[in-house]
Amino acid sequence: MDPVLIANGLNISFEIVTLALVAMGLAVTLGLLGVLNLAHGEFVMIGAFCAFFVQEQGLSYLWAFPLVVIVCIVIGWPVERTIIRALYSRPFDTILATWGLSLLLREIVEFFFGPGFNSVDQPVSGTVNIFGADYPLYQLLVMLIAVVLIGALVAWYVKSSTGRRIQALVDNPDLAKSVGIPTIALARNTFIFGLCLAGIAGVLLAPIVAVYPGMGIDHVLKSFFVLVVGGLGNVVGLVVGSGVIGGAESIVAAILDRTAGYTFVLIVALLFLWKKPGGLVSR
Amino acid sequence: MAWLAANLAFITAILVVLPQIVGDFWAFTLALFLLYAVACLGLGLSWGQAGLLSLGQGFFLGFSAYTSGLILIGFSTSAWLFPLLGLSVIAPGLIAYVLGCMIFHGRTRNTAFFAIITLALILLAAQIATAWESVTGGYNGLRNIPGLPGFSELEDAYTLSAVALGLSMMFAAWIMQTPLGVLWRALSQDERRVAFLGFNHNQLKSVAFGLSGLFGGIAGTLYAPQNSLVTPDLFGFLLSTSFVVWVAIGGRNTLYGPVLGAIGIGLATNTLRESVSFWEVILAVIFIVAVLYFRKGLTGTAEPAVKRWFERNARARKPAPARHSAMTFDRIAIENLNLSVGNVGILEDLDLNIGSPGIYCLIGPNGAGKTTIFNAMTGELEAQSGTVSMLGTRGIKMDARTQAIAGLGRKFQVPSVFDELTVGENLAIALWSGRSSRRDLLRLSLLDWESPVLTELERRFPFLTDRRQMVGSLSHGQRQVLDLAMVLCTEPRLILLDEPCAGLSLAETNEVIGTVRWAVDRFQATAMIIEHDMAMVRELADHVFVVHNGSMLFEGSVAEVQSNAAVQAVYTGGTK
Repeated sequence: MDPVLIANGLNISFEIVTLALVAMGLAVTLGLLGVLNLAHGEFVMIGAFCAFFVQEQGLSYLWAFPLVVIVCIVIGWPVERTIIRALYSRPFDTILATWGLSLLLREIVEFFFGPGFNSVDQPVSGTVNIFGADYPLYQLLVMLIAVVLIGALVAWYVKSSTGRRIQALVDNPDLAKSVGIPTIALARNTFIFGLCLAGIAGVLLAPIVAVYPGMGIDHVLKSFFVLVVGGLGNVVGLVVGSGVIGGAESIVAAILDRTAGYTFVLIVALLFLWKKPGGLVSR
Repeated sequence: MAWLAANLAFITAILVVLPQIVGDFWAFTLALFLLYAVACLGLGLSWGQAGLLSLGQGFFLGFSAYTSGLILIGFSTSAWLFPLLGLSVIAPGLIAYVLGCMIFHGRTRNTAFFAIITLALILLAAQIATAWESVTGGYNGLRNIPGLPGFSELEDAYTLSAVALGLSMMFAAWIMQTPLGVLWRALSQDERRVAFLGFNHNQLKSVAFGLSGLFGGIAGTLYAPQNSLVTPDLFGFLLSTSFVVWVAIGGRNTLYGPVLGAIGIGLATNTLRESVSFWEVILAVIFIVAVLYFRKGLTGTAEPAVKRWFERNARARKPAPARHSAMTFDRIAIENLNLSVGNVGILEDLDLNIGSPGIYCLIGPNGAGKTTIFNAMTGELEAQSGTVSMLGTRGIKMDARTQAIAGLGRKFQVPSVFDELTVGENLAIALWSGRSSRRDLLRLSLLDWESPVLTELERRFPFLTDRRQMVGSLSHGQRQVLDLAMVLCTEPRLILLDEPCAGLSLAETNEVIGTVRWAVDRFQATAMIIEHDMAMVRELADHVFVVHNGSMLFEGSVAEVQSNAAVQAVYTGGTK
């Protein structure tokens, strides 16, 4: 096969898989918990800054993973307690409050690291030859890790009863509580879990993107589009949504340019919101 | 008018005094924030009034700043300059209106989606503004934009901005008072109810969004000549987010909130950003706290007191015109209705026929499907098969609004009234239903409408005469009655009432029974009433339908129903 074609195919797959990776956290908070967290992208950004921070301290890139989990818990706990929990019954205000949170997190990060662009070194370098196309090893690793993470999420959701308990919690919190589900802890843990997923996605992406405080907006928007197109039902929707959004964007961007790709994605998402608000894979 | 005059005096005072305080250089800086205030005023209309949160208000400001800049560069000496600039003011309004129509006329009910779409819009605009270098100047933007001919001095910039803000505020003050403004506030609370009262809620929202675009257009068109530089930063989410923050803290529901927020916080940010390094962080925290605990913002908390000061005196009430379409009786025929939600079957082969006006009660055990029958009739739920013929249609589906215009009035089980409006406004909205044209919605005199039906309702329920009372402070029973009164004010020919007496006292129940009977006689209407209280059924019903397990079990007079063995079996738990 034509190496150029293979390289293009790999690039598109990479777009799709990383998009699914980033959207996974939002799928948890929005899909399971019904909380539209507009600060989702900022947790991706925080993940990326964790990677930047550990490298700046001369530590191994791998330290970023435990660090981001700790940071997400430290931020997520009080945020859930003060903002999210108060607004479960006021979804419209959740958008506003999390939008405020995104602003706050950006400003805090900017205060410590400045508004400029930073870069993170790739922890592994070199390329792999795949059917004649040279492909960066790190990108390949990210894809593998993302696929494993998504697979693990599915396995956990299907195997454990947690998913069903979260469902019960969202459908009828009082009833869920009265049948013995620790609703408060469950909601909190689910929310923080979603944040950690976003943060980990940020750590993984940090070496291949520009790291700056405003980088989150794009991610939350595209994650949202993925869920709009794919539906909030299950992981299949996440993958399908990522395929449509990521695929469409990178193909149109390759043929025309980046702006056209972006426009196209926006139009696709608008059409879905308009004609098929439940997404492709409904619950 | 006292309210408008007070506004004018206040605005003039501020605008005259400010440059004296801050000096000429500051006046120029201030001019920029006056323009931002105009854009925020637009956001206040769409968000504070109609409930449409736009995270991308900067789009309209940016769009017209670019068009205005290009026009000034290309046509600065042309006679067409000012007409073209006028277009650059109007264009964003039209874009917003059309966009609103596209977004709202779909099935998108979720307000969150709207916020996200507006966010996507500015990110897209920023991309295009950066990439389309030949026209927009790319990353560096449009530079050396000439000033407006005849307005080139620094003070002129201030004066122009001040006049633009003053006029915009006058316009906003007026439109917030019109019936259109009342309807915006109503639909931001309960959109479904507005539709069920026969208003085109999607169009009302589109108009609100269109006006917010127009205000952005005013600000942007003046922005370009004042700053002589237009960059993609105007499409940055930072600026649009600032607008949201200013409006939220200032108070989104009021006239002054967005303006004071923009000028006050904007100027404070401009001053303090350098000296107080934590300023942006503090602002973000204030914003979050405002969202959580002070949803009305600074001015929203103060406004009721101020407004009472200028409260309009009771004015002569004017008779409302007759409804546009006075329907005569039409038979109701429900045939073979099957409806299930998910895999739960609710209605099975249900038939229901009503051949003459009167009061028809639907009874049946909980879960029999009574409310679902109403939902199938009004299109809230879609039946899998079967037809509903009523209001002159033969099995054709109509949306809630068309049904309301055709003479259907529905009262939901839970009272759905507009809590944050006054009793008078709630009743007025019902009176406008089916009687007002689109142009009428801009006439303040509509607020003084009355009708013989309303007068009679006020006689029966005296609390309705206290028109300034906020509905949120009414008791449950009063809210139920107000809801019923709103339905009856539309003078419907087909009245659907879902447990109208639930939670009412005995005295209230009797009054409601008398009122329903009176209304049905007066309008020659058909009333279908879901009721559990057999005393009430005995009192009211001309005919009773007994629904059981989604099918019609029995129908007849009250006496026939009570002596029927199958009905008795269902109610006493015997076997069929």
